[in-house]
Amino acid sequence: MKSAHPTRGQFIGGTVAGAAATLASINVIAAPQKEVVIGLDVPLTGPYSDQGTDQVRAYKLAIDEINAHGGVMGMQLKYTIGDDQTKPGPAVDNATRMIDRDGAIMITGGSSTGTAVAVSGLCQQKKTIFMATLTHGDETTNQSCHYHTFRRYNNAHMSARAMAQTLLSKYGTGRWFHITADYTWGHSVYDNLVAVLEPKGAKTIKNVLMPLGTADFAPALQQAQAAHPDVLVITEFGKDMVNALNQAAQFGLTKTTKILVPLADEYMAKGTGDNFANVVTTAPFYWKYYVDKGQPNARKFVAAFIKRYGVPPSNGAETAYTNIYQWKDGIERAGSLDPAKFIAKMEGYKFTATKEPGEYWRTWDHQGVNSCLVMEGVPMSERTGDFPAFAFAKVLEVHNGESVSIPQSESKCKIETA
Amino acid sequence: MSGDTTIDAFLSQLPGTLLDGLIRGLAYVGIALGLTIVFGMLRLVNFAHGAFYLIGAYVGLVVSDRLGLVAGLVVAPIAVAIFAIVIDYALLRRFYDRNPTSQILITFGIALVVQEALRLIFTGTTRSYIVPGWLQTSLNLGFTQYPTYRIVFAIGIVILVCVVWFFIERTNYGLIVRAGIRDRIMVQLLGGNVRQASTVIFALGGAIAGLVGAGASPIYSVDPNTGFNFLVPSFVVIVIGGLGSFWGAVVGGLLVGELQSLTTLISAPASDIVIYVAMALVLLVRPSGLFGESEIIRG
Repeated sequence: MKSAHPTRGQFIGGTVAGAAATLASINVIAAPQKEVVIGLDVPLTGPYSDQGTDQVRAYKLAIDEINAHGGVMGMQLKYTIGDDQTKPGPAVDNATRMIDRDGAIMITGGSSTGTAVAVSGLCQQKKTIFMATLTHGDETTNQSCHYHTFRRYNNAHMSARAMAQTLLSKYGTGRWFHITADYTWGHSVYDNLVAVLEPKGAKTIKNVLMPLGTADFAPALQQAQAAHPDVLVITEFGKDMVNALNQAAQFGLTKTTKILVPLADEYMAKGTGDNFANVVTTAPFYWKYYVDKGQPNARKFVAAFIKRYGVPPSNGAETAYTNIYQWKDGIERAGSLDPAKFIAKMEGYKFTATKEPGEYWRTWDHQGVNSCLVMEGVPMSERTGDFPAFAFAKVLEVHNGESVSIPQSESKCKIETA
Repeated sequence: MSGDTTIDAFLSQLPGTLLDGLIRGLAYVGIALGLTIVFGMLRLVNFAHGAFYLIGAYVGLVVSDRLGLVAGLVVAPIAVAIFAIVIDYALLRRFYDRNPTSQILITFGIALVVQEALRLIFTGTTRSYIVPGWLQTSLNLGFTQYPTYRIVFAIGIVILVCVVWFFIERTNYGLIVRAGIRDRIMVQLLGGNVRQASTVIFALGGAIAGLVGAGASPIYSVDPNTGFNFLVPSFVVIVIGGLGSFWGAVVGGLLVGELQSLTTLISAPASDIVIYVAMALVLLVRPSGLFGESEIIRG
């Protein structure tokens, strides 16, 4: 009869094997993760590719700096990158691949509210953090706000409120003609401007919606010319705005009509040169202003950026850089890669980045509350310094983020609890 | 009252819109011309035509930055013609007698390689031309103030159309080319060099695209995606006009330009769609396009 008890040899062998397996499994659990992956989902082609390319420069700078100083909680920061082509479909495909295949635990990027809203929805489904970068339409932190999404960039509501006084004093309340990008961001800016200007007596003559990626704005400019407006508002971004403003100049409109571009960046100013002179605009960051002001973090960031890339950063690049550091700091405060613990540490968190001190992440919509700059383009002949193409404006006003942000009572944001 | 105001506004904007449609249409004519000539003569579906436009735009940019716009307009078509000859000798002549799928794949591949090579060299940033001061002004035409450069560009396209027509219809070389398409063997027996004529036509198609690329870029700027952005409407133009038809490209281009422009007056977002609707309607009524497929051969 065979004994049911193990032999001595079987017992010892089994014990050793069991111990080894246990130790091995402990090792697997306890071994520190050596690296952590994030996804950069940006437009490298399409009308906003200049902005996407500059964001990637800033991301790489921040990632290399962080890795040189020990990484995130001791883990090296790796990235995977995708070209969203300035279209929501490819942006979502990229983010899906980054999360599912590459193991990205945070997605960042977007130079369009169209792509940002789409990626934000996906990240909510996947329970993955989305640090939205260059998205200015209200929707990202309003109608389509999500628990896993944070947006630090100014939004259309903030820009319109910040500009209101300047517009009335510099542009008056006459007849306004709008050329607007036909997607959620353009609509958002138009709605906010009309809401601010019409109660003061400004008359909207017409709003011509132009598809994203339009090369020829002549049909819209013809209509503007025939309407003889006092103000022409060009709510276009990236290459579309460059084409629209340069063509407005060809039609002689920059000489006969006051031009307003509600949001601009360094690459749009570079592409339009002298045509941007005297144009009023807004931006969340302007490298020259904060460097001249002596903001130490801005000086450090701008100097590192120029040293590495030979040109100053655009405002989208600044948000990209700060987003990476904000995410790293949030993870380290949470002491965990768990999104819920990270979000808990982010909500309401006050910090000083490259702008004024005391900016913070709002709890109920995850909007970054920070200043909004109202600026005016200066002619090329009046620009100074080593980078005249990028030194495009003078700052007229700096508005405290709190004073121009949408209050909770007016917002449609109903953020999830998980 | 407000209805009258709307109609008044529409009518006041109509002349300018029609002029704008004409200029835009002429730009399409310029691009579609090379495309349709190459198809008509060589039966080659050339998806690399947008890449030829793009090379012309960038060569024109580099040259005009250093030597002025006129030099850019001279060098760009020559450079693209040389590129077209090299491509023809190295690759395309092996595909003249292949099926259209092979032709589309090889020319599409060339287009992608060119586009990405130019992106590597010039980055994805939009580049603008430096245009002489007098061309940056606008002319008062009575009913509208219109950019001088656009008017000069339109006149240039009209001259280009006339020159190309003259070359094909009124020169001995054009005769060989047209005859070669009808009966290649007979022309060779008579001592005509059809192979050389094919290369010349391909180079001519490239040169036209290069010239239009350099000429149109001061209006539309240039970035690596511009070639494809113009290629798609150009195919619509030649499908509406009739594949391979010279006058089909001219009429189709003007029709598409006016249609887009007038649609913008009513609803700008619809202006991208309306050309495809027009193409579908034309194909339903006349499957071979407005001018059939061999107008150029019939002379």
